[in-house]
This record gives sequence, structure tokens and C-alpha cells, in this order.
Amino acid sequence: MISYTIRRILLIIPTVFFALSFLFFLLFALPGDITNLIVGGADRNVPQEVIDRAAERYGLNDPLIEQFGAYWQRTVQWDLGDSYLSGRSVNELLGEKAVNSLRLGIWAILIEIVIGISVGMYSALKRYSIGDKITTVVTAGASAIPVFVLGFLLQYAFAVYPNKHDWPEWMRLRTSRMGPNEWDFFFIPGSVEQLRYLILPAFALASVSTALTARMTRGSMLEVMRADYMRTARAKGLRERQIVLRHGLRNAMLPVITLIGIDLGTVIGVAVLTETTFSWPGLGSEIATSVDSRDLPVVLGLTLAVVLVYAFVNLLVDLSYAFFDPRIRLGGGESK
Amino acid sequence: MRLKRRGMKLLALFLGLSLVAAACGDDDDGDEGSEGTDGTEETTDGDESEGVGGGEFIDLGTIVGDPLEHIDPALNTTLDAFQVITALYDGLTDTGIDEDGNPAIVPDVAESYEANDDATVWTFQIREGVTFDNGEEVLPSSFAAGWERASDPEFAGDYSYLFNFIEGGAEKLAGEADTLAGVEADDEAMTLTVTLAEPYSNFDAVAGFQLFMPMPKEATEADDFSAWENGIMIGNGPYKMESPRTSTEIVLVKNEEWAGNAEGETFDDRLDRIEFRVSADPDTAYNAFEAGEGHNANIPPALVEQAQADYETTLDSLFLGSYHFVFNDRNPLVGGEENLALRQAISLSIDREDINTSVYNGSRTTSTGIVPEGIPGWTEGICEFCAYDLDAAKAKYQEWVDAGNTQTEPIPVQFNADAGHEPVVAIMVDNMKAAGIDAVAQPMVGETYFSDLADGACVFCRSGWIADYPAYDNFMYDLFHTDALDGNNYGFSNPEFDALVEEGKRTPDKDEQAELFNDAERILLNDATMAVPVNWYRGDYVYDPERVAEFPQEFGIIRWERVRLAE
Repeated sequence: MISYTIRRILLIIPTVFFALSFLFFLLFALPGDITNLIVGGADRNVPQEVIDRAAERYGLNDPLIEQFGAYWQRTVQWDLGDSYLSGRSVNELLGEKAVNSLRLGIWAILIEIVIGISVGMYSALKRYSIGDKITTVVTAGASAIPVFVLGFLLQYAFAVYPNKHDWPEWMRLRTSRMGPNEWDFFFIPGSVEQLRYLILPAFALASVSTALTARMTRGSMLEVMRADYMRTARAKGLRERQIVLRHGLRNAMLPVITLIGIDLGTVIGVAVLTETTFSWPGLGSEIATSVDSRDLPVVLGLTLAVVLVYAFVNLLVDLSYAFFDPRIRLGGGESK
Repeated sequence: MRLKRRGMKLLALFLGLSLVAAACGDDDDGDEGSEGTDGTEETTDGDESEGVGGGEFIDLGTIVGDPLEHIDPALNTTLDAFQVITALYDGLTDTGIDEDGNPAIVPDVAESYEANDDATVWTFQIREGVTFDNGEEVLPSSFAAGWERASDPEFAGDYSYLFNFIEGGAEKLAGEADTLAGVEADDEAMTLTVTLAEPYSNFDAVAGFQLFMPMPKEATEADDFSAWENGIMIGNGPYKMESPRTSTEIVLVKNEEWAGNAEGETFDDRLDRIEFRVSADPDTAYNAFEAGEGHNANIPPALVEQAQADYETTLDSLFLGSYHFVFNDRNPLVGGEENLALRQAISLSIDREDINTSVYNGSRTTSTGIVPEGIPGWTEGICEFCAYDLDAAKAKYQEWVDAGNTQTEPIPVQFNADAGHEPVVAIMVDNMKAAGIDAVAQPMVGETYFSDLADGACVFCRSGWIADYPAYDNFMYDLFHTDALDGNNYGFSNPEFDALVEEGKRTPDKDEQAELFNDAERILLNDATMAVPVNWYRGDYVYDPERVAEFPQEFGIIRWERVRLAE
């Protein structure tokens, strides 16, 4: 188990290297001269002297391979550089944005786990009931509605409409930005006002994955319930509650865990649409806008963080298999 | 400067939602400038404004999309950031309003100024008692030092070419001189004397531009000029920074040290605090505005009617910007004397009213020239080929055909893709086809659009311009003169036009100057027909009258000292 973990951690190094290197060259391969875009060439005709000056300032005149070497030399020392556009330190930007993304992501995952799994189990246990049918329709709808459409609907229903109809202040939720930035234990809203800012983006971000989790839990649960060991458990006279929770749910969780693991990486790093719709100042929207303006240090620095998060989350997911399925034993190729 | 904002770029980018892009994209038109201001309706007098005094204003309409790249007046190129800068800094001159509601240059930190007879030497008398918000006195040398900083070749921003107006400016920018030879500050006599490289009678308008703001010693003596805008910038305007900017907000508070304007008005009941919030896109910002989370928003074009019905808007205010299309004189399809009738046919065939109604919900002014209403010297109806006349267009086209010409391929109507221009171009292509002219829409990659044009790719291409400062030559010279600073990409080089514009720049008499510039524009639009004006921009903010009593946006610029809350 330990040697497996170490090997997996070491594997993260080439993963990160290839991902970032690919991105580095990809950014230079995108249409448009990178220096021209940095100085605002997408919106206007920039004098050549301005472009030349910027190229000189950012070392963009050097051969690409030299720039690539210099980039990695800095990166291995965790020197992520400064934004070309604002001059702000990418490290600082990363700290600020990652924390925001993480808080939103944690809540989305919690919603996904609590609501997704509960609804899925309910559907599986009450198969073909009215509740199951309603759940099927709702989850199909939730996974089909694009996040930004849902976001706008939620904003209208819970913020714009109440405001236009003079509902009491406490009944109105907030549509944009992060609010007062008051948190307890890192992610628990420290005030009612903070909660009002969090609710809509968290539910919008969680919507699709919650629906998928519910559907997957239902399917997986139904399959497990038919398994031989379940019949054996029943034959042994175990109580239904014990059968469902200890034998059924635990076994049904494997594919769901994988899904949630992937989601964790996604909601933290690439929640672009939700972050944009709700002006939540997170990593995803920052990366997207930086790609637009070819702010290389920001794109590469923030992506590095996202890739690392992904890699570690994947590792955790794999390790958690051992807990949920005793048949899986990780380590040294000896598992049977 | 550029008009950055608007443009639901992200969603359009990721989802290819053409509908959303069309509705919300608007144009991120190139360039733009802007500068001081004042002007049009909603004017209020000094301290006698309506509404309550003080209070906190939450602005949702100014910073939309990315956070501002620069807020240092030496570096900024966008109108959005200028809305912040104008609250923080006062320049030598400002743009006031004349009796016709048009912009007029008035003294600001300079209590008076004069030029010599040939407009080569300008002397500004600086007001006594004006200070920066840290208490440092604003002296002639504060301007001189600020200009030296802004023209430092290691630091100079995109607008630094404006120092070419000043003697020795070109040399300083090229690194061949240490100082601007033409600038002389006398702190005893409180005069700033500026010698220009060439006669220029509109220098008073340029002198109020953001690039020429005064700077305190803390900025001019810093080792690293570029760090200034990431800290608390010290200014001399009605507001000062409460804290360094972040990627989500910029917060300003009342500057109690502010000396007021040149007339001595101090607007004491102005807002106490202004919070500029960064919104991810125009629709999100509008939603937040409707949810009561802020006091204003930018109006997404699709919501113009709704905004007008539900709230107050600044749509009636002038903006000093032009949206137009330009022909490439070097291109055999449309350029040259032989294609004049074809170009005139195209201009006559465009239904500008339809474009304004269908695409912009009537939120712009159908234009009758390139130079927009409000620019000193503006005359209505300069363009003879800008009124929609299908029969005349067909006749002109026939005239071109009768001269022995034929179309070998459709005329591409070019535009930067995914920036909201698609529906405009669709109407234009239909219009041209109705007049018998074969045309096709040609979207071009947005990121490289302007550099492609600079490389000569334009045939019949979209363009836009918002005044850097309210001067006729800022349109005529900067866009169409043979030596246009940004490089004349359209191949238009007309000695008669150039001579008129050059003479206009030199002529101190404003009426005479206006005639010269008007004549130049007539050559551009009528004799040569090298550009097709489409519309002029108008104000674009919405605010809730229940919470905001006054929100003057004049010539594009928000007059923060006169904004008042209603409650």
C-alpha cells in the first residue's frame, strides 16, 4: 500500500510536466501574435513600437525553446512569475482564487454527496414508485439544463423576483460575487449574509453532478441489491436497514466514488460557467479570461495548481477503493 | 483607449451561443479614448443637486468582464478604467459644456491658459492651493514630473505617442533624450510652459487627457513605476483610493482634501464611497442590478427596451464615438477612383435605421458622418451618401457597371467574429444584395483582427473609434491622415485631405478650424467615399431612480462628483 502510494505520487511528476508543457506550446500555437494580444491587440491596432517594447520586457523575443527552459527553471522553484497584464504575483493570485474555488467546490461536493446519494438510494429502494418517477424526471432535467441557464433562472427566482416584489430582505439571495468573505473552519459561512451569497452558486455548480450521482447511485444500488451476497445476507436474517447500509450501499459506492472524485477536481479547477454566471472570483474564470488575453504566467501558474489537485484527488479516489471494496488490495502487484 | 467592457465573451466562447453573443456582445470596438468631459443633459449646478448627500454607491456597470488591466493614468487604454481614473485625478483642463450642450474645454487645475499666435507655445497658470490627497501641493513640477514618468521609455504606456506633440517628446520616447525638452515648470510663478513640436491649436483638449495628469513625488520618485497602480495611488481628484485594487473590486472614498473645480465648486455633498465591482459579464451584472445589489449597470443591447421601461438610463447622452466601415483604397475590388461609384452605391444601400432598430434596439444614433455629434466643429449631414436610398444605390451601381466594370467576386464585409457584429453585417449584406451588389459576410478571428487589418487584409472592414479627447482631428488625423499614428491601414492617402486636416490642427480660430475639418470630412465621405458611417454611440448605463437621484454620464464619462443617491 505504501509503495503503491509512493509510486502514484511519483507518477504525478511526469503528468504535471507533460500537461504544462503541452499547454505552454499550445498557448503559443493559438491564433494571434502573443505579444500583440498582451498589449490589447484584440481590440485595437497597436503601434509596433509598443509591441516591440512588450516583447522585450517579457522576453518573448527569445527562441521558444529558451523560453520553455526558463519557464521550467522558474516553475520547479515554485516561482510562478507575475501577471503580464496586472503585474500581480501569480502566487498571490493563486492563493486568493484557489481558496475561493475550494470553498465553492466543497459545498458543491457536499450537496452532491448528501442529496445525490440520498435521492439515488430512495429511488432504488422505492423503485417504480411515484417518487422514483419524479426523481428520474427531475434528475434528467437537471443534468440537461446548462449551468448558466440554471444560474440565470435561480438568480431570477431567488434574487431578482423577490427584489422587484419587495420581499423581506431575509428572503432574498445574492446573485453575484462572494460577499463579505466571512468563513468559519475555512468553509462554513460565518454569517447569514455570507450564506446568501453561497447558496445559489453552490447549487448551480452542484446541479449536474448531483443529478448524475443520484442516477448512478440508483443504478448501482439496484444492481447490488440483486447480488447473491445480498440474498445471503437476507437469508441470514439481518435487518433490512443493515443489509442496505452495510452491504448494499457500501458496494454500490465504488462507481459513485469515482464520479465524485472526478467532480472534485472539476468543481475546483474548471467551474468556469458557474463562476462566470455568479461572478465568483475563482480559478476557472480566472484561467479562462487569462487565456483570452494570453496572460501566460497566470494561465500556466493556475493550471499547474489545477493539475496538481486533479492528480492528488485521483490518487485519493484510488486509495479509497480499498476501503469500500475489501477485495481490492493495493500494493506491489500482489493484490488478488 | 479601448471600449473594453460588454461582450459576453466567455459564454459565447465556451458555448458558441450565437444568440447570446448577438444579444449581449455589443462591440468591443477598438480603441477609444476619452478624456475629460461634461456635457449634455442631466447637468446639475454645483452643490445644489437633488437627492441626498453622501452615501455609498455600488457600481456594477463599469468593470465588466476581466478586471481592469491598468488604472495608472500613464498606462490605461480603456474607457472603463478611465471612469475610475477620472474620480482620482484632475488634469490641467476639463471638458465642460457650452450653451449648445457640446463639449468645451475649460480650465481645471490650470486656472487659465493661453497659446501664442501660431499655437506652438502653451502656458498654463496653475491654481494655488490644489493638493494631492496626501497633502502634497500640486505644482507645475508635479505635471512636469508626471509627464517625464509617463514618457519614460522603459515604462511608457500605449498612449505615450501623444508626447510626440511636445518638443523633444519623440526623442525622449526613443531613448535619445533624458527629458522632455519642451516642458518648463516654474513653481515660483506657478506656470507650466509647453513648447510643441508643431503648431497645434487643440492642445488644450489633449492637455486634459489622462496621460497628462499630475503625479505626486511618491509616484515620480519610485524605483518601480509599474508598482504604483497596485498600491494606493495618490491623486488630486474628488476621490481617493481606500485600499489597493483587487481582482474583484476597486474602492474609492471621498477625498476631503479636494480643492474643487476651477470655479471653486467643491460638491461637498458628493458620495462618500464608491465601490466598483468586477462583474463577469453584462447579463450577470444586469441581474445583480435588478436584484438590488448595486446602483447601476451597463445595458446589454437586448435589454435596452426593458431597461428604459423599468428604470432610468443615460441613453440620451452623447458618447463621442463612431461605428463605421472602411474601404481599402489599395484593394482592386473596391479601391481607386474607378470604384468610386461602387463605394457610393454601397454607402447608399445600407439601411442604418434598420440596423439601429433591429440590432441595437434604437440605443444608438444613426450617423451622418464619422465625427460624432458633440465634437467641437461637428456639423450635421456631412455625408451625402449616408441616407438609405435603394433607388439611388441601384442607379450608382448601374453607373459603375456602365463605365465598363463588373464584379468578379462578392465584396467581403469583414468584421471581428463573436463580438456582436454578426447581425449588423447580415443586414448590410442583405442591403447590398438588394441594390444588386454581390456581397458576403466575412467573419475574421477576433484576436488578430486589428493586426490583420494593419497587414493590409481590409477590403471593406468594420471599425470603430471613441474620442481620446474632444477634438475633430482625433478622428480625421488619427484615423485617415496619410501619416496616421496607428498606421493608415486603409490605403487612403489624399493630399488635399491631408492638407486640410493639417491646416485645421494649426488654426486657432475655432470656426475657421471647423470649416477646414468639415471640408476634409466631405472629401473623405463624399468625394472619395472611403468610409461608411453606421452609427454613433450613446450613453449606456441604467440606474434605478428609486435609489439614485442623479447619474450624469456625459460624453461617455461618469461625473462622479455629481452622482447623488435618492435615499
